[in-house]
Amino acid sequence: MIGRTRHVYDAALVGALIASALLFLVPQFFFIRQSLLPNVAPGVVGDTISLDNYREIVADPFYWSVFGRTIGLSAASVAMGLLLAFPTAYLLARMAAPIVRWLIVLLLISSFVSVVVKVLGLSLLLGTDGPVVRTLGALSFGFWNVRLLHNDVGVAIGLVQYTLPLMVMILFGVIQNVPPSLEDAAAVHGASDWRTFRRVLLPLLWPGTLAAALIAFNMNMGAFTSAVLLGGGRVLTVPIMIQRKIVLETDYPNAAALALLLTLTVVAVNLAALKARPAAIAGTRAG
Amino acid sequence: MFAFAFLLVPLAIVVGASFDDSASAYFRFPPERLSLRWYRELPVKYWHGLALSSAIALAAATASTLIGALAAVGIAKGSLRASPLLETFFRLPLQVPFVVTGVVFLQFYYLLFDVWRVPLVGSYAGFVLAHLFFCIPYAAGAVGSVITADLRHIEDAGRIAGATEWRVFQRLTLPALKPGLFSGFFYAFVVSFGDVPVSVFLSTGGTVPLPVEIFQTLQFDFDPAVLSISSIVIVLSALFIVFMQRIVGLDLILPGARR
Repeated sequence: MIGRTRHVYDAALVGALIASALLFLVPQFFFIRQSLLPNVAPGVVGDTISLDNYREIVADPFYWSVFGRTIGLSAASVAMGLLLAFPTAYLLARMAAPIVRWLIVLLLISSFVSVVVKVLGLSLLLGTDGPVVRTLGALSFGFWNVRLLHNDVGVAIGLVQYTLPLMVMILFGVIQNVPPSLEDAAAVHGASDWRTFRRVLLPLLWPGTLAAALIAFNMNMGAFTSAVLLGGGRVLTVPIMIQRKIVLETDYPNAAALALLLTLTVVAVNLAALKARPAAIAGTRAG
Repeated sequence: MFAFAFLLVPLAIVVGASFDDSASAYFRFPPERLSLRWYRELPVKYWHGLALSSAIALAAATASTLIGALAAVGIAKGSLRASPLLETFFRLPLQVPFVVTGVVFLQFYYLLFDVWRVPLVGSYAGFVLAHLFFCIPYAAGAVGSVITADLRHIEDAGRIAGATEWRVFQRLTLPALKPGLFSGFFYAFVVSFGDVPVSVFLSTGGTVPLPVEIFQTLQFDFDPAVLSISSIVIVLSALFIVFMQRIVGLDLILPGARR
Protein backbone atom coordinates (compact mmCIF):
# COMPACT_ATOMS: atom_id res chain seq x y z
CA MET A 1 0.00 0.00 0.00
CA ILE A 2 -0.44 2.48 0.69
CA GLY A 3 1.60 5.53 1.10
CA ARG A 4 -0.85 7.36 -1.08
CA THR A 5 -3.95 5.96 0.56
CA ARG A 6 -2.64 7.00 3.93
CA HIS A 7 -2.34 10.56 2.65
CA VAL A 8 -5.99 10.46 1.65
CA TYR A 9 -6.93 9.43 5.20
CA ASP A 10 -4.63 12.10 6.63
CA ALA A 11 -6.36 14.70 4.49
CA ALA A 12 -9.73 13.49 5.83
CA LEU A 13 -8.45 13.88 9.38
CA VAL A 14 -7.06 17.35 8.72
CA GLY A 15 -10.38 18.44 7.23
CA ALA A 16 -12.31 17.16 10.23
CA LEU A 17 -9.77 18.73 12.59
CA ILE A 18 -9.99 22.17 11.02
CA ALA A 19 -13.80 22.17 11.05
CA SER A 20 -13.92 20.90 14.64
CA ALA A 21 -11.19 23.20 15.93
CA LEU A 22 -13.05 26.20 14.53
CA LEU A 23 -16.20 25.03 16.34
CA PHE A 24 -14.61 23.68 19.53
CA LEU A 25 -11.88 26.18 20.27
CA VAL A 26 -12.61 29.59 18.74
CA PRO A 27 -15.94 30.30 20.52
CA GLN A 28 -14.54 28.85 23.76
CA PHE A 29 -11.54 31.18 23.56
CA PHE A 30 -13.67 34.31 23.46
CA PHE A 31 -15.90 32.86 26.12
CA ILE A 32 -13.04 32.27 28.55
CA ARG A 33 -11.70 35.72 27.78
CA GLN A 34 -15.11 37.19 28.57
CA SER A 35 -15.08 35.53 32.00
CA LEU A 36 -11.96 37.56 32.85
CA LEU A 37 -13.55 40.92 32.05
CA PRO A 38 -15.58 43.10 34.42
CA ASN A 39 -19.30 43.70 34.04
CA VAL A 40 -19.46 47.48 34.11
CA ALA A 41 -23.22 47.82 33.79
CA PRO A 42 -25.94 45.29 32.82
CA GLY A 43 -24.93 44.05 29.37
CA VAL A 44 -21.84 46.30 29.20
CA VAL A 45 -18.48 44.59 29.48
CA GLY A 46 -15.27 46.42 30.41
CA ASP A 47 -11.82 45.61 29.12
CA THR A 48 -9.50 45.10 32.09
CA ILE A 49 -8.41 41.48 32.47
CA SER A 50 -8.65 40.10 36.01
CA LEU A 51 -9.77 37.09 38.00
CA ASP A 52 -12.34 39.19 39.89
CA ASN A 53 -15.38 37.22 38.64
CA TYR A 54 -13.86 33.99 39.88
CA ARG A 55 -12.78 35.54 43.18
CA GLU A 56 -16.31 36.80 43.74
CA ILE A 57 -17.81 33.35 43.10
CA VAL A 58 -15.29 31.40 45.18
CA ALA A 59 -15.65 33.80 48.13
CA ASP A 60 -19.44 33.53 48.25
CA PRO A 61 -20.87 30.56 50.23
CA PHE A 62 -24.12 30.90 48.26
CA TYR A 63 -22.41 29.71 45.07
CA TRP A 64 -20.79 26.85 46.99
CA SER A 65 -24.19 25.67 48.14
CA VAL A 66 -25.58 25.81 44.58
CA PHE A 67 -22.63 23.80 43.26
CA GLY A 68 -23.01 21.34 46.14
CA ARG A 69 -26.70 20.90 45.44
CA THR A 70 -26.07 20.36 41.71
CA ILE A 71 -23.40 17.73 42.38
CA GLY A 72 -25.54 16.04 45.03
CA LEU A 73 -28.63 15.89 42.81
CA SER A 74 -26.58 14.63 39.86
CA ALA A 75 -24.83 11.92 41.87
CA ALA A 76 -28.03 10.77 43.61
CA SER A 77 -29.81 10.55 40.25
CA VAL A 78 -26.94 8.53 38.77
CA ALA A 79 -27.19 6.09 41.70
CA MET A 80 -30.96 5.72 41.28
CA GLY A 81 -30.55 5.44 37.52
CA LEU A 82 -28.00 2.63 37.88
CA LEU A 83 -30.31 0.74 40.24
CA LEU A 84 -33.05 0.91 37.59
CA ALA A 85 -30.90 0.52 34.49
CA PHE A 86 -28.75 -2.40 35.58
CA PRO A 87 -31.49 -5.03 36.11
CA THR A 88 -33.31 -3.82 33.01
CA ALA A 89 -30.20 -4.05 30.82
CA TYR A 90 -29.34 -7.44 32.32
CA LEU A 91 -32.78 -8.87 31.52
CA LEU A 92 -32.66 -7.43 28.00
CA ALA A 93 -29.20 -8.88 27.36
CA ARG A 94 -30.07 -12.33 28.71
CA MET A 95 -33.57 -12.75 27.28
CA ALA A 96 -33.57 -14.75 24.07
CA ALA A 97 -37.13 -13.95 23.11
CA PRO A 98 -37.98 -11.78 20.09
CA ILE A 99 -39.74 -9.47 22.54
CA VAL A 100 -36.31 -7.96 23.26
CA ARG A 101 -36.39 -6.37 19.81
CA TRP A 102 -39.65 -4.62 20.68
CA LEU A 103 -38.47 -3.57 24.11
CA ILE A 104 -35.45 -1.97 22.45
CA VAL A 105 -37.76 -0.24 20.00
CA LEU A 106 -39.69 1.16 22.99
CA LEU A 107 -36.43 2.29 24.56
CA LEU A 108 -35.42 4.04 21.34
CA ILE A 109 -38.81 5.74 21.08
CA SER A 110 -38.43 7.02 24.61
CA SER A 111 -34.94 8.35 23.90
CA PHE A 112 -36.10 9.91 20.64
CA VAL A 113 -38.80 12.05 22.25
CA SER A 114 -37.58 15.48 23.41
CA VAL A 115 -36.81 15.88 27.09
CA VAL A 116 -39.31 18.70 27.28
CA VAL A 117 -42.14 16.38 26.19
CA LYS A 118 -41.13 13.76 28.75
CA VAL A 119 -41.03 16.44 31.43
CA LEU A 120 -44.54 17.50 30.46
CA GLY A 121 -45.66 13.89 30.97
CA LEU A 122 -43.87 13.64 34.31
CA SER A 123 -45.48 16.81 35.61
CA LEU A 124 -48.92 15.46 34.67
CA LEU A 125 -48.05 12.18 36.37
CA LEU A 126 -46.53 13.63 39.54
CA GLY A 127 -48.55 16.82 40.03
CA THR A 128 -50.77 17.35 43.08
CA ASP A 129 -53.80 16.47 40.94
CA GLY A 130 -51.94 13.63 39.23
CA PRO A 131 -52.60 9.90 39.58
CA VAL A 132 -49.49 9.09 41.67
CA VAL A 133 -50.09 11.61 44.43
CA ARG A 134 -53.83 10.85 44.53
CA THR A 135 -53.21 7.10 44.70
CA LEU A 136 -50.69 7.48 47.51
CA GLY A 137 -53.15 9.73 49.33
CA ALA A 138 -56.04 7.30 48.88
CA LEU A 139 -53.99 4.28 49.95
CA SER A 140 -52.96 6.03 53.16
CA PHE A 141 -56.49 7.46 53.82
CA GLY A 142 -55.22 10.95 53.16
CA PHE A 143 -52.33 10.80 55.61
CA TRP A 144 -49.61 10.68 53.02
CA ASN A 145 -49.55 13.98 51.18
CA VAL A 146 -46.30 13.87 49.28
CA ARG A 147 -45.12 16.60 47.00
CA LEU A 148 -43.29 15.21 43.99
CA LEU A 149 -42.97 18.42 42.01
CA HIS A 150 -41.26 21.76 42.48
CA ASN A 151 -38.66 20.31 44.85
CA ASP A 152 -35.45 18.25 44.81
CA VAL A 153 -37.41 14.99 44.53
CA GLY A 154 -39.12 16.14 41.34
CA VAL A 155 -35.83 17.29 39.81
CA ALA A 156 -34.13 13.98 40.73
CA ILE A 157 -36.97 11.95 39.19
CA GLY A 158 -36.66 14.06 36.05
CA LEU A 159 -32.89 13.52 35.88
CA VAL A 160 -33.28 9.74 36.25
CA GLN A 161 -35.81 9.70 33.44
CA TYR A 162 -33.55 11.88 31.30
CA THR A 163 -30.53 9.57 31.55
CA LEU A 164 -32.21 6.16 31.89
CA PRO A 165 -32.57 5.19 28.19
CA LEU A 166 -28.91 5.94 27.46
CA MET A 167 -27.75 4.12 30.60
CA VAL A 168 -29.79 1.03 29.72
CA MET A 169 -28.45 1.03 26.16
CA ILE A 170 -24.80 1.36 27.25
CA LEU A 171 -25.16 -1.32 29.94
CA PHE A 172 -27.03 -3.56 27.50
CA GLY A 173 -24.06 -3.44 25.12
CA VAL A 174 -21.62 -4.05 27.97
CA ILE A 175 -23.54 -7.01 29.45
CA GLN A 176 -24.02 -8.58 26.01
CA ASN A 177 -20.25 -8.86 25.70
CA VAL A 178 -20.08 -11.10 28.78
CA PRO A 179 -20.98 -14.65 27.74
CA PRO A 180 -23.70 -16.23 29.90
CA SER A 181 -21.55 -19.38 30.07
CA LEU A 182 -19.32 -17.57 32.57
CA GLU A 183 -22.27 -17.27 34.95
CA ASP A 184 -23.18 -20.92 34.33
CA ALA A 185 -19.60 -21.92 35.11
CA ALA A 186 -19.71 -20.01 38.38
CA ALA A 187 -23.03 -21.61 39.26
CA VAL A 188 -21.70 -25.09 38.47
CA HIS A 189 -18.89 -24.45 40.90
CA GLY A 190 -21.42 -23.69 43.59
CA ALA A 191 -21.39 -19.90 43.63
CA SER A 192 -24.59 -18.25 44.80
CA ASP A 193 -26.27 -15.70 42.51
CA TRP A 194 -24.96 -12.88 44.65
CA ARG A 195 -21.45 -14.30 44.64
CA THR A 196 -21.57 -14.76 40.86
CA PHE A 197 -22.66 -11.17 40.48
CA ARG A 198 -19.99 -9.83 42.82
CA ARG A 199 -17.03 -11.98 41.78
CA VAL A 200 -17.70 -12.70 38.11
CA LEU A 201 -20.04 -10.10 36.61
CA LEU A 202 -19.07 -6.99 38.53
CA PRO A 203 -15.31 -7.12 37.75
CA LEU A 204 -16.12 -7.54 34.05
CA LEU A 205 -18.90 -4.95 33.93
CA TRP A 206 -17.29 -2.36 36.18
CA PRO A 207 -15.53 -0.34 33.43
CA GLY A 208 -18.65 -0.12 31.26
CA THR A 209 -20.81 0.68 34.27
CA LEU A 210 -18.46 3.48 35.30
CA ALA A 211 -18.57 4.83 31.75
CA ALA A 212 -22.38 4.81 31.79
CA ALA A 213 -22.42 6.45 35.23
CA LEU A 214 -20.04 9.22 34.12
CA ILE A 215 -21.97 9.96 30.95
CA ALA A 216 -25.17 10.19 33.00
CA PHE A 217 -23.42 12.36 35.60
CA ASN A 218 -22.21 14.77 32.92
CA MET A 219 -25.72 14.96 31.45
CA ASN A 220 -27.19 15.63 34.91
CA MET A 221 -24.68 18.36 35.73
CA GLY A 222 -25.74 20.25 32.62
CA ALA A 223 -29.43 19.34 32.85
CA PHE A 224 -31.50 22.40 32.29
CA THR A 225 -34.94 21.65 30.90
CA SER A 226 -36.03 19.16 33.55
CA ALA A 227 -34.43 21.12 36.39
CA VAL A 228 -36.23 24.33 35.42
CA LEU A 229 -39.64 22.78 34.82
CA LEU A 230 -39.76 20.13 37.56
CA GLY A 231 -38.00 22.35 40.09
CA GLY A 232 -40.60 25.01 39.31
CA GLY A 233 -38.25 27.86 40.21
CA ARG A 234 -37.69 26.50 43.72
CA VAL A 235 -34.64 24.36 42.97
CA LEU A 236 -31.55 26.31 41.99
CA THR A 237 -28.83 24.40 40.15
CA VAL A 238 -25.78 25.81 38.39
CA PRO A 239 -27.25 25.59 34.84
CA ILE A 240 -30.37 27.46 36.00
CA MET A 241 -28.25 30.05 37.77
CA ILE A 242 -26.23 30.61 34.57
CA GLN A 243 -29.39 31.16 32.56
CA ARG A 244 -30.71 33.63 35.14
CA LYS A 245 -27.44 35.58 35.07
CA ILE A 246 -27.89 35.99 31.34
CA VAL A 247 -31.61 36.49 30.97
CA LEU A 248 -32.43 38.41 34.15
CA GLU A 249 -29.20 40.18 35.08
CA THR A 250 -27.49 40.35 31.64
CA ASP A 251 -24.24 39.75 33.51
CA TYR A 252 -22.32 37.89 30.79
CA PRO A 253 -18.86 37.82 32.42
CA ASN A 254 -20.23 36.35 35.65
CA ALA A 255 -22.26 33.77 33.71
CA ALA A 256 -19.15 32.86 31.71
CA ALA A 257 -17.11 32.40 34.90
CA LEU A 258 -19.84 30.20 36.41
CA ALA A 259 -20.09 28.18 33.21
CA LEU A 260 -16.33 27.62 33.12
CA LEU A 261 -16.33 26.56 36.78
CA LEU A 262 -19.19 24.13 36.04
CA THR A 263 -17.22 22.63 33.13
CA LEU A 264 -14.09 22.35 35.28
CA THR A 265 -16.09 20.63 38.04
CA VAL A 266 -17.42 18.09 35.54
CA VAL A 267 -13.95 17.47 34.10
CA ALA A 268 -12.45 17.11 37.59
CA VAL A 269 -15.06 14.55 38.65
CA ASN A 270 -14.47 12.58 35.42
CA LEU A 271 -10.71 12.60 35.82
CA ALA A 272 -10.96 11.56 39.47
CA ALA A 273 -13.32 8.70 38.60
CA LEU A 274 -11.17 7.50 35.69
CA LYS A 275 -7.99 7.73 37.75
CA ALA A 276 -9.62 5.50 40.31
CA ARG A 277 -10.14 2.92 37.58
CA PRO A 278 -7.86 3.42 34.54
CA ALA A 279 -9.26 0.34 32.80
CA ALA A 280 -12.56 2.16 32.39
CA ILE A 281 -11.12 4.69 29.94
CA ALA A 282 -11.68 2.35 27.02
CA GLY A 283 -15.33 2.06 27.98
CA THR A 284 -16.09 5.79 27.70
CA ARG A 285 -15.71 5.53 23.93
CA ALA A 286 -19.24 4.19 23.85
CA GLY A 287 -20.47 7.74 24.51
CA MET B 1 -39.55 -3.81 33.84
CA PHE B 2 -40.44 -0.88 36.05
CA ALA B 3 -37.94 1.10 33.98
CA PHE B 4 -40.15 0.78 30.90
CA ALA B 5 -43.23 1.93 32.78
CA PHE B 6 -41.26 4.86 34.17
CA LEU B 7 -40.16 5.85 30.67
CA LEU B 8 -43.38 5.28 28.78
CA VAL B 9 -46.28 6.05 31.13
CA PRO B 10 -45.55 9.81 31.09
CA LEU B 11 -45.67 9.74 27.29
CA ALA B 12 -48.97 7.83 27.32
CA ILE B 13 -50.37 10.38 29.77
CA VAL B 14 -49.46 13.28 27.49
CA VAL B 15 -51.32 11.63 24.62
CA GLY B 16 -54.28 10.85 26.89
CA ALA B 17 -54.51 14.35 28.33
CA SER B 18 -54.37 15.93 24.87
CA PHE B 19 -57.89 14.64 24.20
CA ASP B 20 -59.37 16.43 27.23
CA ASP B 21 -61.72 19.13 26.02
CA SER B 22 -61.87 20.79 29.44
CA ALA B 23 -58.12 21.09 29.90
CA SER B 24 -57.94 24.58 31.33
CA ALA B 25 -54.93 26.53 32.44
CA TYR B 26 -53.45 23.58 34.30
CA PHE B 27 -52.71 19.94 33.68
CA ARG B 28 -55.24 17.28 34.45
CA PHE B 29 -55.26 13.55 34.02
CA PRO B 30 -57.32 11.48 33.34
CA PRO B 31 -59.34 13.58 30.87
CA GLU B 32 -62.92 14.58 31.74
CA ARG B 33 -64.51 15.21 28.37
CA LEU B 34 -62.99 13.75 25.22
CA SER B 35 -62.57 15.94 22.17
CA LEU B 36 -60.14 16.89 19.43
CA ARG B 37 -60.37 20.56 20.38
CA TRP B 38 -56.63 21.04 21.05
CA TYR B 39 -55.78 19.48 17.71
CA ARG B 40 -58.17 21.75 15.84
CA GLU B 41 -57.02 24.83 17.75
CA LEU B 42 -53.31 24.11 17.40
CA PRO B 43 -51.50 27.45 16.85
CA VAL B 44 -49.43 27.55 13.69
CA LYS B 45 -46.28 28.53 15.63
CA TYR B 46 -45.93 24.93 16.78
CA TRP B 47 -45.94 23.67 13.20
CA HIS B 48 -43.30 26.27 12.34
CA GLY B 49 -41.26 25.07 15.33
CA LEU B 50 -41.58 21.45 14.23
CA ALA B 51 -40.43 22.30 10.70
CA LEU B 52 -37.52 24.39 12.00
CA SER B 53 -36.40 21.70 14.48
CA SER B 54 -36.53 19.02 11.79
CA ALA B 55 -34.53 21.14 9.36
CA ILE B 56 -31.91 21.98 12.01
CA ALA B 57 -31.59 18.36 13.13
CA LEU B 58 -31.32 17.11 9.54
CA ALA B 59 -28.50 19.53 8.68
CA ALA B 60 -26.68 19.11 12.01
CA ALA B 61 -26.88 15.30 11.86
CA THR B 62 -25.75 15.14 8.22
CA ALA B 63 -22.81 17.51 8.67
CA SER B 64 -21.71 16.02 11.99
CA THR B 65 -21.86 12.46 10.61
CA LEU B 66 -19.67 13.58 7.71
CA ILE B 67 -17.14 15.36 9.96
CA GLY B 68 -17.28 12.60 12.59
CA ALA B 69 -16.72 9.90 9.96
CA LEU B 70 -13.76 11.77 8.44
CA ALA B 71 -12.31 12.18 11.93
CA ALA B 72 -12.81 8.56 12.99
CA VAL B 73 -11.51 7.10 9.73
CA GLY B 74 -8.64 9.57 9.60
CA ILE B 75 -7.59 8.78 13.16
CA ALA B 76 -7.80 5.01 12.66
CA LYS B 77 -6.15 4.81 9.24
CA GLY B 78 -3.97 7.89 8.84
CA SER B 79 -0.32 8.29 9.79
CA LEU B 80 -1.17 9.01 13.42
CA ARG B 81 -2.61 5.58 14.09
CA ALA B 82 -5.25 5.74 16.82
CA SER B 83 -3.76 8.75 18.56
CA PRO B 84 -5.46 8.97 21.99
CA LEU B 85 -4.92 12.72 22.04
CA LEU B 86 -6.96 13.17 18.87
CA GLU B 87 -9.69 10.86 20.16
CA THR B 88 -9.88 12.95 23.30
CA PHE B 89 -10.08 16.11 21.22
CA PHE B 90 -13.13 14.90 19.32
CA ARG B 91 -14.77 13.85 22.60
CA LEU B 92 -14.11 17.22 24.24
CA PRO B 93 -17.63 18.70 23.80
CA LEU B 94 -19.13 15.83 25.81
CA GLN B 95 -17.48 17.37 28.85
CA VAL B 96 -19.11 20.75 28.29
CA PRO B 97 -22.58 21.06 29.86
CA PHE B 98 -25.26 21.98 27.32
CA VAL B 99 -26.18 25.24 28.99
CA VAL B 100 -22.53 26.29 28.75
CA THR B 101 -22.53 25.51 25.03
CA GLY B 102 -25.58 27.72 24.62
CA VAL B 103 -23.93 30.62 26.46
CA VAL B 104 -20.64 30.17 24.59
CA PHE B 105 -22.28 30.34 21.18
CA LEU B 106 -24.58 33.20 22.14
CA GLN B 107 -21.60 35.31 23.17
CA PHE B 108 -19.61 34.24 20.12
CA TYR B 109 -22.46 35.22 17.81
CA TYR B 110 -22.80 38.59 19.51
CA LEU B 111 -19.09 39.11 18.91
CA LEU B 112 -19.33 38.10 15.25
CA PHE B 113 -22.17 40.55 14.85
CA ASP B 114 -20.23 43.37 16.49
CA VAL B 115 -17.17 42.81 14.35
CA TRP B 116 -18.49 41.64 10.98
CA ARG B 117 -22.23 42.28 11.20
CA VAL B 118 -22.98 38.57 10.75
CA PRO B 119 -26.40 37.98 12.32
CA LEU B 120 -26.32 34.41 13.64
CA VAL B 121 -28.53 34.68 16.73
CA GLY B 122 -31.94 33.35 15.79
CA SER B 123 -30.77 32.23 12.35
CA TYR B 124 -30.91 28.75 10.87
CA ALA B 125 -27.12 28.65 10.35
CA GLY B 126 -26.62 29.80 13.94
CA PHE B 127 -28.62 26.89 15.32
CA VAL B 128 -26.92 24.34 13.06
CA LEU B 129 -23.38 25.50 13.93
CA ALA B 130 -24.05 25.39 17.67
CA HIS B 131 -25.68 21.97 17.35
CA LEU B 132 -22.67 20.67 15.42
CA PHE B 133 -20.60 21.34 18.53
CA PHE B 134 -22.38 18.64 20.53
CA CYS B 135 -23.31 16.37 17.58
CA ILE B 136 -19.78 15.75 16.27
CA PRO B 137 -18.64 13.70 19.32
CA TYR B 138 -21.63 11.36 18.98
CA ALA B 139 -20.96 10.81 15.28
CA ALA B 140 -17.19 10.41 15.70
CA GLY B 141 -17.72 7.98 18.59
CA ALA B 142 -20.30 5.90 16.72
CA VAL B 143 -18.15 5.59 13.58
CA GLY B 144 -14.98 4.99 15.64
CA SER B 145 -16.63 2.11 17.48
CA VAL B 146 -17.11 0.08 14.26
CA ILE B 147 -13.49 0.43 13.08
CA THR B 148 -12.04 -2.67 14.71
CA ALA B 149 -8.94 -4.82 14.32
CA ASP B 150 -11.12 -7.32 12.45
CA LEU B 151 -11.87 -4.70 9.82
CA ARG B 152 -8.13 -4.17 9.26
CA HIS B 153 -7.62 -7.90 8.76
CA ILE B 154 -10.48 -8.04 6.30
CA GLU B 155 -9.04 -5.10 4.36
CA ASP B 156 -5.61 -6.76 4.30
CA ALA B 157 -7.24 -9.92 2.98
CA GLY B 158 -8.81 -7.84 0.21
CA ARG B 159 -5.44 -6.34 -0.71
CA ILE B 160 -3.74 -9.74 -0.76
CA ALA B 161 -6.49 -10.89 -3.10
CA GLY B 162 -5.41 -8.09 -5.43
CA ALA B 163 -8.10 -5.46 -4.89
CA THR B 164 -7.16 -1.85 -5.52
CA GLU B 165 -7.23 0.56 -2.57
CA TRP B 166 -10.38 2.22 -3.86
CA ARG B 167 -12.09 -1.14 -4.23
CA VAL B 168 -11.03 -2.16 -0.72
CA PHE B 169 -12.58 1.04 0.61
CA GLN B 170 -15.71 0.75 -1.47
CA ARG B 171 -16.40 -2.97 -0.99
CA LEU B 172 -14.97 -3.68 2.48
CA THR B 173 -14.45 -0.51 4.53
CA LEU B 174 -17.62 1.35 3.65
CA PRO B 175 -20.06 -1.53 4.36
CA ALA B 176 -18.34 -2.05 7.73
CA LEU B 177 -18.75 1.66 8.53
CA LYS B 178 -22.45 1.66 7.66
CA PRO B 179 -23.80 0.78 11.14
CA GLY B 180 -21.56 3.45 12.67
CA LEU B 181 -22.71 6.04 10.15
CA PHE B 182 -26.36 5.19 10.77
CA SER B 183 -26.17 5.21 14.55
CA GLY B 184 -24.03 8.37 14.52
CA PHE B 185 -26.60 10.11 12.35
CA PHE B 186 -29.44 8.79 14.48
CA TYR B 187 -28.01 9.97 17.81
CA ALA B 188 -26.94 13.32 16.42
CA PHE B 189 -30.44 13.80 15.03
CA VAL B 190 -32.09 12.82 18.32
CA VAL B 191 -29.93 15.12 20.44
CA SER B 192 -30.29 18.03 18.04
CA PHE B 193 -34.04 17.60 17.52
CA GLY B 194 -34.82 17.58 21.23
CA ASP B 195 -32.41 20.28 22.31
CA VAL B 196 -33.59 23.02 24.66
CA PRO B 197 -30.57 24.19 26.70
CA VAL B 198 -28.50 25.34 23.71
CA SER B 199 -31.27 26.60 21.45
CA VAL B 200 -33.07 28.51 24.19
CA PHE B 201 -30.22 31.06 24.18
CA LEU B 202 -30.14 31.36 20.40
CA SER B 203 -33.88 31.75 19.78
CA THR B 204 -35.42 35.06 18.86
CA GLY B 205 -39.06 36.07 18.45
CA GLY B 206 -39.66 34.61 15.01
CA THR B 207 -37.37 31.58 15.00
CA VAL B 208 -38.09 29.20 17.85
CA PRO B 209 -37.42 25.44 17.51
CA LEU B 210 -40.29 23.26 18.75
CA PRO B 211 -38.73 22.04 22.05
CA VAL B 212 -37.93 25.65 23.02
CA GLU B 213 -41.46 26.70 22.08
CA ILE B 214 -42.90 23.97 24.32
CA PHE B 215 -40.41 24.80 27.08
CA GLN B 216 -41.35 28.46 27.09
CA THR B 217 -45.05 27.65 27.10
CA LEU B 218 -44.61 25.33 30.07
CA GLN B 219 -42.49 27.83 31.92
CA PHE B 220 -44.50 30.98 31.40
CA ASP B 221 -48.04 30.68 30.07
CA PHE B 222 -49.55 27.24 29.87
CA ASP B 223 -51.52 26.45 26.77
CA PRO B 224 -53.21 23.03 26.42
CA ALA B 225 -52.10 22.99 22.77
CA VAL B 226 -48.64 21.87 23.96
CA LEU B 227 -50.31 18.58 24.86
CA SER B 228 -51.51 18.00 21.31
CA ILE B 229 -48.28 19.07 19.58
CA SER B 230 -46.32 16.91 22.06
CA SER B 231 -48.58 13.97 21.26
CA ILE B 232 -47.93 14.54 17.58
CA VAL B 233 -44.18 14.49 18.26
CA ILE B 234 -44.52 11.27 20.29
CA VAL B 235 -46.51 9.53 17.57
CA LEU B 236 -44.18 10.74 14.79
CA SER B 237 -41.16 9.55 16.81
CA ALA B 238 -42.73 6.15 17.39
CA LEU B 239 -43.63 5.78 13.69
CA PHE B 240 -40.13 6.84 12.68
CA ILE B 241 -38.42 4.30 14.97
CA VAL B 242 -40.73 1.46 13.92
CA PHE B 243 -40.15 2.42 10.28
CA MET B 244 -36.38 2.43 10.78
CA GLN B 245 -36.59 -0.90 12.55
CA ARG B 246 -38.54 -2.39 9.66
CA ILE B 247 -36.47 -0.86 6.85
CA VAL B 248 -32.87 -0.82 8.04
CA GLY B 249 -33.03 -3.01 11.15
CA LEU B 250 -32.05 -2.33 14.73
CA ASP B 251 -28.44 -3.35 14.12
CA LEU B 252 -27.86 -0.18 12.19
CA ILE B 253 -29.33 2.12 14.82
CA LEU B 254 -27.95 0.33 17.85
CA PRO B 255 -24.73 -1.51 17.01
CA GLY B 256 -24.92 -3.26 20.37
CA ALA B 257 -28.19 -4.99 19.50
CA ARG B 258 -26.90 -7.81 17.31
CA ARG B 259 -29.84 -10.12 17.34
